Amino acid sequence: MENQPMLKVTNLTKKFGNLVAVNNASMEVYPGEIVGLIGPNGAGKTTLFNAITGLYKPENGKVVFKGVNITGFLPHKICKLGMSRTFQVTRAFLHMTVEDTVRVGAYNRRNEKNVLAKVDEIIELCELGDIRTRVCGDLGLAQLRKVELARALATEPEMLLLDEAGAGLNATELSAFMTLLQSLNKDYHITFCVVEHVMQMVMGICQRIVVLDSGELIASGTPSEISHNQRVIEAYLGKRAVNYVN
Amino acid sequence: MIETATQSVITGTMMGIIYALIALGLSIIFGVMNVVNFAHGDFVMLAMYLSFTVGTLFAWDAVITPVITVPLLFVFGLITYYLLIDRTLRQMYVVQLAVTVGLQILMRSAALIIWQAQPRALQYSFIQGNIEIGPYSILTSRLVGAVVSLIFIGGIAYFLNKTWSGKAMRAASDDLDVASLMGVNYHRTYALTFAIGAALTAVAGGLLMSFQQTDPQGGVRFGLLSWCVLALAGLGSLPGLIVSGIIVGIAETFAISFIDPRARLLAVYAIFILVLWLRPRGLFGRK
Repeated sequence: MENQPMLKVTNLTKKFGNLVAVNNASMEVYPGEIVGLIGPNGAGKTTLFNAITGLYKPENGKVVFKGVNITGFLPHKICKLGMSRTFQVTRAFLHMTVEDTVRVGAYNRRNEKNVLAKVDEIIELCELGDIRTRVCGDLGLAQLRKVELARALATEPEMLLLDEAGAGLNATELSAFMTLLQSLNKDYHITFCVVEHVMQMVMGICQRIVVLDSGELIASGTPSEISHNQRVIEAYLGKRAVNYVN
Repeated sequence: MIETATQSVITGTMMGIIYALIALGLSIIFGVMNVVNFAHGDFVMLAMYLSFTVGTLFAWDAVITPVITVPLLFVFGLITYYLLIDRTLRQMYVVQLAVTVGLQILMRSAALIIWQAQPRALQYSFIQGNIEIGPYSILTSRLVGAVVSLIFIGGIAYFLNKTWSGKAMRAASDDLDVASLMGVNYHRTYALTFAIGAALTAVAGGLLMSFQQTDPQGGVRFGLLSWCVLALAGLGSLPGLIVSGIIVGIAETFAISFIDPRARLLAVYAIFILVLWLRPRGLFGRK
């Protein structure tokens, strides 16, 4: 493992009024890793993503990306630095075509002259050729998830945050998706942090897992360590379940 | 009777296309930024005065004055955005309303101070005159106005669909946060949107000054007109905006021809109220 983390979150706290959505959370992601961020519903995973990518300003704490303190940066600056993401509830540009959507992402690093090459490459990679000229508002969920991934990839990120990108996919789609992520990780050298409920995916592709519960970080380790961790089992199934599991 | 009606349709169509150009500025600002610019009509008024000043100063024809007034209004739009609008974006809606209404009053007062209360007009334009077709006559100034307006509306359509900035504006219009996360600088995109909206009023102002006069209260009329056209068209369709402009233009000329010249605003108000009542999203609006 490389010594310098690509992403380092330190003591991050985000409140909404009296609700502490993320409480003093710290985590690191190293270059080349695929890290899973898991936790029960409402644990603060999406909030943490929003705070990292600049949508929310945290009350406290620090986010450092590639050695730059990006806390409080506007989202487009963070994107320029090389971080992109997808959304739990798909957020497509509903009045734009798939091609234009990918193009908006691709302009992050390219200009009118060489943008099209990237758009073509990404559309090919994500197998969007058939629906290239369709308007996003007319697409189904599985297609929109692909478009979102394509849009994020088009920005040419070094790090990609995926928010439940595997949710709602059937077994075939899921295994194709996992293969795609692994090839992106290897061939495009993209570091991933994925929020995921689909355990098959988390256990299948994540080298390391971080567990969040009620806004606090409760565990971090390899998939097998995490699946035997007492606090994690407690958080997911309740205290009494620990006895049964053991 | 039929001749008068046909003549009204001809004149109204051409005026209506100019109205569509005026409403286009309001439409892209509202559509992209979700900002309701109550001072839009006064941007037209200011553009007309600037056109008057430029035309007088250089002894230019009104239709050429946009060469100077478009950059002026563009910069004025940028300044307005960064000094006022940008600060209202994350505020309550009522703050935006207060700021743009305040801007409206400010612009009217400034026009009163600079150009005094009397109406101002330029010398007869070289596009004055008629084209006679049978019993009907087409005013050359209106025809030129309509053609130039169509060219600019087409240009904006091209800009929105084919260029990087245009795509960024459409993306920001659909989902600002996501556009921002995909590398779109929303301050710059918004500033550009507002400045283009302002600059379009300068084109319209030059065209209008070739056959109309302006006064400090002129903004009321153009504000209402552009609101009416936008309400009728709905957001997101440029052809719809042109058609709506034409409907409003024809309604206005009919009111002038068949009721009374003073009834022109009555027709506009009537359409406005009917649309809001019967079809709030407009005839061609998305969603």
